[in-house]
Amino acid sequence: MTRIATDAGGTFTDLVAFDELTGAIQVGKALTTPRDPSIGVVDAIAQAEEEGLATAEATLFVHGGTTVINAITERKGVATALVTTRGFRDVIAIGRGNRPDLYNLHSEPAQPFVPRHLRFEVTERMDARGEVRIALDHDDLAAVADRIAASGVAAVAILFLHSYVNPEHEQAAARFLRERLPGVAVAASHEVSRQWREYERSNTAVLSAYVQPIMARYLSNLADALGGRGIDCPAYCMQSSGGLASFPSAVAAPLVLVESGPAGGVAGAARVGEALGEPDILYLDVGGTTAKCSLVSGGRPVLKPDYKLEWSRLKPGYPVQIPVVDIVEIGAGGGSIAWIDPAGAVQVGPESAGSDPGPACYGRGGTRPTVTDAKLLTGVIDAEGFAGGRIQLDVAAAERAFGPIAAHLGVDVVAAAEAVIRLAEANMINALKLVTIQRGHDPRDLTMVVSGGGGPMHAATLGRELGVRRTVIPRYAGLFSAWGMLTARPRIDMSRTRLIALGPDAMPRVQAVFLELACEAATAFGVAAEALIADRTIEMRYRGQEHAVATPYAPGESLAALLESFHAAHEKAYTFRLDDTPVELVTFHLAAELETPRVGLPDISAETTLAEAACGNRPLIGADGRLAPAPVYTRDLLPPGAEIAGPALIEEATTTTLVLAGQTARIDRYGLISIAEIPSAENPGTERDDREAAG
Amino acid sequence: MTIAQTVPAGSGTAGGSAADAVTHEVITGKLLATVDEMAIVLARASMSPVVYEVLDFACGICDAAGDLVAQTNGITIFTGTFSHQVRFLRARFGADMAPGDTFLTNDPFEGGTHACDFAIVRPIFAEGAIVGYGIAVAHLLDVGGAVAGSLPPDATSVFQEGLRLSGVRLTRGDRLIDDIVRIITENVRLPQLAMGDVNAELAAVRIAERRLGETIEKYGAAAVQRTFGRLIATSEARARAVIAALPDGDYSATDVIDGDGATEAPIPVCVTVRIRGSEIEADFTGSSPARAAPINCSRGALTSAVKTVMKALVAPQEPSNEGWFRPLTVTAPPGTVFTAEKPSPTGWYYEGAAMASELVWKALAPLAPQRFPAGTYMSLCATYIAGSGPDGLFVHIEPQNGGWGATRHRDGASGMIAITDGDTYNYSVELLEAKFPLMVTRYDFNVEDGTGAGEHRGGFGLVRDYEIETDDAVLYGSFGRTATRPWGAEGGEAGSLNGMEVRRGGSARRLTRPARFQLQRGDQVSIVTGGGGGWGAPQGRDPELVARDVRDGLVSVALARDTYGVVVDPATGRLDAAATAELRSAR
Repeated sequence: MTRIATDAGGTFTDLVAFDELTGAIQVGKALTTPRDPSIGVVDAIAQAEEEGLATAEATLFVHGGTTVINAITERKGVATALVTTRGFRDVIAIGRGNRPDLYNLHSEPAQPFVPRHLRFEVTERMDARGEVRIALDHDDLAAVADRIAASGVAAVAILFLHSYVNPEHEQAAARFLRERLPGVAVAASHEVSRQWREYERSNTAVLSAYVQPIMARYLSNLADALGGRGIDCPAYCMQSSGGLASFPSAVAAPLVLVESGPAGGVAGAARVGEALGEPDILYLDVGGTTAKCSLVSGGRPVLKPDYKLEWSRLKPGYPVQIPVVDIVEIGAGGGSIAWIDPAGAVQVGPESAGSDPGPACYGRGGTRPTVTDAKLLTGVIDAEGFAGGRIQLDVAAAERAFGPIAAHLGVDVVAAAEAVIRLAEANMINALKLVTIQRGHDPRDLTMVVSGGGGPMHAATLGRELGVRRTVIPRYAGLFSAWGMLTARPRIDMSRTRLIALGPDAMPRVQAVFLELACEAATAFGVAAEALIADRTIEMRYRGQEHAVATPYAPGESLAALLESFHAAHEKAYTFRLDDTPVELVTFHLAAELETPRVGLPDISAETTLAEAACGNRPLIGADGRLAPAPVYTRDLLPPGAEIAGPALIEEATTTTLVLAGQTARIDRYGLISIAEIPSAENPGTERDDREAAG
Repeated sequence: MTIAQTVPAGSGTAGGSAADAVTHEVITGKLLATVDEMAIVLARASMSPVVYEVLDFACGICDAAGDLVAQTNGITIFTGTFSHQVRFLRARFGADMAPGDTFLTNDPFEGGTHACDFAIVRPIFAEGAIVGYGIAVAHLLDVGGAVAGSLPPDATSVFQEGLRLSGVRLTRGDRLIDDIVRIITENVRLPQLAMGDVNAELAAVRIAERRLGETIEKYGAAAVQRTFGRLIATSEARARAVIAALPDGDYSATDVIDGDGATEAPIPVCVTVRIRGSEIEADFTGSSPARAAPINCSRGALTSAVKTVMKALVAPQEPSNEGWFRPLTVTAPPGTVFTAEKPSPTGWYYEGAAMASELVWKALAPLAPQRFPAGTYMSLCATYIAGSGPDGLFVHIEPQNGGWGATRHRDGASGMIAITDGDTYNYSVELLEAKFPLMVTRYDFNVEDGTGAGEHRGGFGLVRDYEIETDDAVLYGSFGRTATRPWGAEGGEAGSLNGMEVRRGGSARRLTRPARFQLQRGDQVSIVTGGGGGWGAPQGRDPELVARDVRDGLVSVALARDTYGVVVDPATGRLDAAATAELRSAR
């Protein structure tokens, strides 16, 4: 009963194996092998086997990693051609023509992944209703096929206008090119997206083609290697949607792996929420370089409506139409460097000291102040016990690094460190509000799950500022993404753009669209539609609007009920509703998960006592900015039911949990730490009448 | 630039303790998050494609005096209008503002741009006093007037350009005032869309109030006001440092606006930029008087256009606020084409405003070549196709993207939106065909007319061809740079021209600023934008880049040889290095 996850990152390939009966965790680590990442995975497995991992007992194998995103960001995909409707060769180069870096007169659009000489036009045309205006010209297509063959590309994307409503021309062209160009990967846009907007769908098809041959080879090698080591359990890839995909479906649409790693953490947060009986979870992960946050609503990850690769405030990026969990990422992690900007203000990140040289206190040559150094100076991290005592931290180096900022602010180094932590946390708060308040969710209704090596040090403060119900630190917080992959279920996301006016005759059409999507999902999994757990949403809008609001839909729901849930969703998102305005249905989404047993959360041992877990005191910064002794506990020795009043520190090998004065930390049967405010006269924890309606 | 040295060291302690310095950064972050949130809400809740798709809007927060403290990253032409508009409303309503009030102005002569741009302002109160204002401005699809879309290119006075609401109260106690709503809905062609957009703007300023209120509750009104003051003061100091580092002197530029619609005759315009110490003045004295045509802009839009270039000079990537513009003075006598007064029409104000921006840019380019490329296609080339389709009246407004000038370091950008706009999107072909009785038959680079050649060449303009699929439609629009090509820099050649053509049967009609061109089913409307100017002599261009352009079908073998002195094999597209060296040395 062992589930195995491997995560092939930029530098290391990590393995986590979880024994569902005993709750034991085993880890393996190997160098990532970029030329063929399956080698690194096998190395990690071999290493874990030496430590006792019994691969023959594996019941599930999940693989995630950064191969897809790295191939794209490092421009190491294959040479790719594009076949498109005559007259539209440059759509992919023009993009949306926007200049987000609006005062920089040197800015430029995102460069397309297909150069102009590899963009070919074919005579054909559909209209917006899906009717053929100009038949597909097969002679044109044959001539283009010859030119593509001569160009030596390894992949071809096809984008014909309006294929989202009628894909016949794309299907015919794809069939023809696959036959004519053996060995060349062909991705037709309707196979990867059935949503409108030609530029966005072009990018989706092109990027899919660009990485497809790499992923096909990689996953085929990995499947062979797993077989060779006797791992014959079901094997999946972690998708960006928070669900799993079989190897063949990942090969067919490799872009779904683009945010594979972060999605694992979100899936894990959803599983923790299920164990706690909390369907709505705010999730935060703080790593070395960045903090990422995301929302789980109704037990499901929330997906981003418009995902863009390489986007920033100043760069248009590459929009792609694939289901990706809505993650807001900011440059604030343990390694983030504090600096003084040209205006004289102290800033934190996005530059990070990374792992080499790392924070100043690591003593590996780093001289600039980081958040980790600040945590050391304020007493949250222990100089002796860091990383299970394997690394002795250098307090003097941290003090030296904070000297300039302390001088600039005119305070001592501890106060300077405290200021830097406040700034890093303010950035995290803004990101957390972006996924909650700005999307119409009140943090006071949510439980926050915090992971990552850095997360539990900030969790208590962030939870208090946001006013969440409680803050939960899962076990193995430092390995949470990989553990999360083990909790995910096989999943497929289907979407269809179909413009329907919401009137008396709309509901049968709605049911027909969802039936079509459900049948396609069932076929993809090779099961009956009843075996799927399906989640249906409809993007709806008032007539005249363009952007729509995702509205949940239950099969058989009445028109009146659907209309009311749309009005409510609109008001939640945008502060108003227009009861008398006609409503339209635009895009239909069906997320189907295969019903499979969820990973269990085993109970922790009750054989120790709170007193045994206590391991002394150390000076910790308080609300008054002074260092005062605070009790320290060893997490692994804390029994279920234990309650600790803050201020306190709870240590484990990969992180330290900070509990503030005025809070209690409670250990539950699964070993989860729940931090909550102690109700008081000024802080009537359960009184909620002061809240704002839609705040 | 070494700005840091000129800022008082330890400004972190200037306002008080270290805690204050950190609080300031925290509040600044909240302000920026708030204006972002305002923009998201406005775009997604709005009803006009020009707002939700083209994103022709902006949101911001001003302090109690009306000075801008934070703005969305949206569109440049609203960079400088917010403060004017808020000050106008303060002057008009004074103490007669209460919580739950919002105010509306779309008056071009009171800090605005044109009547289509509705500015909605909400005063934000703390402890009974105003601490700031939330403001949202969005382009409404139609505000009445002579034509659907409200921008008749042949307007001779502002009264043909739709309903003007010059500072009115829109809500009281957060409820719409019915009389004003009635005036709007009865005077515009698409009342439901108009009120949809007004509601979206109201939602945006409500967000401003809510978030600023939360911040005040946590940190106190005094701390928030200190942050406002400090943001402006710090930006001002940095802007002054950049100006002071430039040599004192007078820097001039001249250009022409290519006709005003009534006449094709060039309209002369000029600027003298004076730099004295840390002060900078842009003086447009000598520019043509205002025209009886809507390519004029008012003083508010002129100031905004100059502020855009000022920002590009001093700190292109920093968040905008009033402080950056404190060293700037904009001078121009009243009644010029840049300072039109009532009742001059200003519907197509961006034609004048874009020229004002490019004049200042052209004057400053030799001083700061790292900031300013060669000339661009400049004109937004906004095109209207309006008429009736299967769903009734439709109005398709579209700003066009075009070629930008080459820079000191690389080729110009192709198909990018003009200086007056910013994070604004072109219109998806699939989307517009689902909405309007139009079919796009071509959307690609304008290779035919080419770009300004140079060591770095200009970016390409675009061609967008529409086929009309209704019996009832008119075309109108206003294109600049239809006779005077975008300038080249440092020996680079001039770019190519914008233009519009209607093809019917075998004949073609070329248009520049058509007022009401009646279309027929089957007509082809071809919209062409120009390529940007080049940078440096074409003979200095890397031959491999010329060969690449030949392979990409962007440059012909003949042009490569004649203009660039580069020999490319027409069969393979490969560079003939020896023949190229020979050809170049012979010149």
